[in-house]
Amino acid sequence: MFNGNLKKGSAELLVLSLVEQRPRHGYDIGKLIEARSRGRIQFRIGSLYPILCRLEHRGLIAGRWVERAGERRRRYWRLTPFGRKCLADQRGVWKEFVVTVNQVMRAGHV
Amino acid sequence: MSEWIAYVRARLRLSGLRAEREVEVVEDLARQLEDAYADALARGAAEPDARSAAHQHISDWQTLGRDVERSERWKESRMTEGQPAVSTRNAAPGRPALVAIGSDVLQDVIYGLRMFRKRPGVTAVSLLTLALGIGANTAIFSVIDAVMLRALPVRHPDELVLLKWTATKRPSLHNSSSYGDCANQFVDVRASGCSFSHPFLSDVVAQSTSFTGVAAFANAGQITITGHGAAGLARGQYVSGGYFDTLGVQPAAGRILHLADDTPGAPPAIVLSHGYWQRNFAGDPQIVGQTLFVNGKPFTIAGVAEPRFTSLTPGVVRDLWIPLSFKPQLVERFDPKNDNAYSWWIVIVARLRPGVRTAAAQAEIVGLFRNDTLLGPKPIFREADNPSVLLLPAQTGLVGVRARFSQPLDILMAVVGAILLIACANVAGLMISRAAARQKEMAIRLSLGASRARIVRQWLTESVVLAVFGGALALILATWASRLLAAMMGTMAGRPDLGLNISLDARVFAFTTSISFLAGILFGIAPAVRGTQVELTPALKDALGRAAGARRRLSAGGALVVAQVALTVVVLIGAGLLVRTLQNLRGVDAGFQTQNLLTFGIDMTLARARSTTADQVSADLQRQFSELPGVVGVSYAEDVLLSGSSSSNSFPKPGASDHTDGEANRLAVGPHFFDTLRLSIRAGRDFRADEYAAAAARRNAPASDGAKDMSPVPAIVNELFVKTYFPQVDPIGQTFGASKTPEYAFAGWVIVGIVSDAKYDDLRKEVVPTFYVPISGAGYFALRTAGDPATVVSSIRAIAQRMDLPVFAVKTETEQIDELLYQERLVAQLSGFFGLLALALASIGLYGLLSHDVSRRTREIGIRMALGAPRATVLRLVVGHGATLALIGAALGTIAGVGATRYLGSLLYGVGPADPATLAAVAVLLVAVSVAACLIPARRATRVDPLIALRYD
Repeated sequence: MFNGNLKKGSAELLVLSLVEQRPRHGYDIGKLIEARSRGRIQFRIGSLYPILCRLEHRGLIAGRWVERAGERRRRYWRLTPFGRKCLADQRGVWKEFVVTVNQVMRAGHV
Repeated sequence: MSEWIAYVRARLRLSGLRAEREVEVVEDLARQLEDAYADALARGAAEPDARSAAHQHISDWQTLGRDVERSERWKESRMTEGQPAVSTRNAAPGRPALVAIGSDVLQDVIYGLRMFRKRPGVTAVSLLTLALGIGANTAIFSVIDAVMLRALPVRHPDELVLLKWTATKRPSLHNSSSYGDCANQFVDVRASGCSFSHPFLSDVVAQSTSFTGVAAFANAGQITITGHGAAGLARGQYVSGGYFDTLGVQPAAGRILHLADDTPGAPPAIVLSHGYWQRNFAGDPQIVGQTLFVNGKPFTIAGVAEPRFTSLTPGVVRDLWIPLSFKPQLVERFDPKNDNAYSWWIVIVARLRPGVRTAAAQAEIVGLFRNDTLLGPKPIFREADNPSVLLLPAQTGLVGVRARFSQPLDILMAVVGAILLIACANVAGLMISRAAARQKEMAIRLSLGASRARIVRQWLTESVVLAVFGGALALILATWASRLLAAMMGTMAGRPDLGLNISLDARVFAFTTSISFLAGILFGIAPAVRGTQVELTPALKDALGRAAGARRRLSAGGALVVAQVALTVVVLIGAGLLVRTLQNLRGVDAGFQTQNLLTFGIDMTLARARSTTADQVSADLQRQFSELPGVVGVSYAEDVLLSGSSSSNSFPKPGASDHTDGEANRLAVGPHFFDTLRLSIRAGRDFRADEYAAAAARRNAPASDGAKDMSPVPAIVNELFVKTYFPQVDPIGQTFGASKTPEYAFAGWVIVGIVSDAKYDDLRKEVVPTFYVPISGAGYFALRTAGDPATVVSSIRAIAQRMDLPVFAVKTETEQIDELLYQERLVAQLSGFFGLLALALASIGLYGLLSHDVSRRTREIGIRMALGAPRATVLRLVVGHGATLALIGAALGTIAGVGATRYLGSLLYGVGPADPATLAAVAVLLVAVSVAACLIPARRATRVDPLIALRYD
């Protein structure tokens, strides 16, 4: 498990990348994060939900109620064109950050 | 599912969210918890364990609620560093940013309306105040719009130009006439005018290449109409053949006049105005083609002009149009000299050919004009006089009634502007007290993270909503008020039909909308700023919050009251000066007795057509009128005194060795004129019957008769005339004004009597040298009655009707003077009314501030009284506060007023802008009203029961 600050800093990036390919609903996003991180990153509904609201208000994702046959309606989130642009930017920033951090740490080892 | 919704609803507290958004959040969260529960069950958990697993997903409901609320507030949803989404932070998904702002604004508006409903009293007072302020502005502006700004009612008015001549010296003319179509200056150094001669018009039409058409016109004055019921009078206008075609006026019935109608030998035809057609022929289309007798001459009615064409010159309304070439037939004893190059009487408007620049057209016309006025046997101008012609846009060049109304309207616009400011200050005061009452609400909003800008926007939205409602009310008020105003202007000017189409057009609507918004922002700023200046902790604790906010609210509210009082003082000083001016003018000694004097005109055109001379008819009428009971004197003259019009003559100054000219007013009067008017003959005698007979003989001699009567005309002069021209000698028997030039041989006037001084055309003007001569022919009658002159009016009409003569302009001399003073009366009455309105608004403002103050300080007053303060001290405390504000405002207002009223300048008479009496009266009035406004809340303060007051918090 990582500490809260690390989680907080990456949460938006994680959510955005998960809805990049197809729209997902809130609980699904939380489960996917947990599954892909093999349980090392977990978001409970109570902490993920405000992030979704915030992203929606900034126009990065858009929610839509979808009713599938035999199921109750769920709110599905998809990436907006503006969100797609931000995600690409943030991805670049993140990768650069990771590379830079690694470089710094390697330098420390040598 | 409903179980989970109930679960969420019971725990999640959301405020400040739109209801539908709240429902959405609850459902969304409930759905996810249900998913988590189902997921746990699917993984084989027992039912209670699955439930508890779902419950664990949200443990801190308070934080969740706050986080959701915060993400809903656009200002707070700023991204973490390095994120680029600032510009669209407000954009709802899939919708443009503006729509999102719009929905936020809508939310503010709805919230504002809810707040207004909570305090209906304050809201009603604010709305009414705003409606009065904005309504007064809209009403005055709609009149300004109709009088000053409305486009001429013709096709492409922007292409029309008005010809206006200028020179550095008066032209040497035989005769020149103007009828208020444009601003004339008939003085040396800077002479100008827009009357031209008939030959010049012909030159422009024949020679100029810059125009597609020329529309010339001249006043035909009052004409008699017969052939359709009883004899009637109408206002006619002579127009050139190209008039209607050039202006692009369409007929409503029949046809308009064309070039062919204005040629020698053309069949006589006229066009009626739509209004005249409606009034006199009930809009009957069958009238086209029928014959009407104009001054006794038959004319065919060719058609009726379209309704919107009331007049080309603003406010100069005509009933019918006659081709210019018929003027010689319609004017009695037409003198061909009056149609030559030395007689200027025609106004020329032309339509520029597309592509021709005004400068080029002007150069061409200047060439024609200089040719006509500098050359020839007797040039009108010399080269040094620099004669020229300007082509002005007809829209602004044709002033008409604009000249009479522009100054009063400007003043009134300034006055109602001040009223609006007072209204804004008043409403701002109310809003500030509202802001104080809502301090706790604001503190909560701020502590929840709302930005100050957001709060300011909420306040401004509420103000603008209030102003817009006020503006809507104002439009209703203004529709009614502007009609009243137009009627008032017409009646006061003695011309009920000004042809003003006062309506709420797009321009007026835009004006009202913009001043409403402006007002909303203006009175919203103070409370908005005050509203955000909340010290959170004390405000939330409420009791202390009130005390902490108190001092500042006092100063903001106090400043607004001072501003209101100051503006009110300015308006009142202006109104006071105008009222004093009116009083002064009414009190001016006209030199003759103006009470119990009835004046009216009788048109003799028809009498002449029946080959009775006007002199016989006048004498007959004079005899019949004098036999009426209650009539003590009857006479007639060529003009009514103090009607604004005058005639004058210039003549070589008697006794002067150089060739300087003297000038004097001249009035032709009938028998017993001086008796009737109560002018006293100081020396010499009144005119004799044989002198009237001689005048009639002179008039009735054929114009072409070469054998001129070479005896001097008898004249009675006023005392000032004697002082000016015959100071040293006995004036009786002296002659003046003799001319020996072959063209105008004249034996001059011989003085037979001296009469007391009297004002002639205007009360404002000093008495000028005046001489009276015997009248021949028709004129305006003057009847002196023992009692109320109104009682004899019907008998007069009956006598005139028996002789089939139209009576017109029946007025008492007092009414005549009122008409002369229309401008002064208009501004004095309206500014007086607005001054009282300002006073009322300001005292409401003062009252509102103080009563709010008293209720806020109930506890303090209670403590003071519990500690033994007498009631008088408490009374003094409150009244003293109000009176101090009023005095500061009055002092500031007086200083501003003395500066501002200097612009009234030429409107004032017998009173200076810093008139001490007016200033003192205004100050006393204001302080009295202010103290009265303070007394009500002050008395309430003295009735505070200390016990109840101390329990108050």
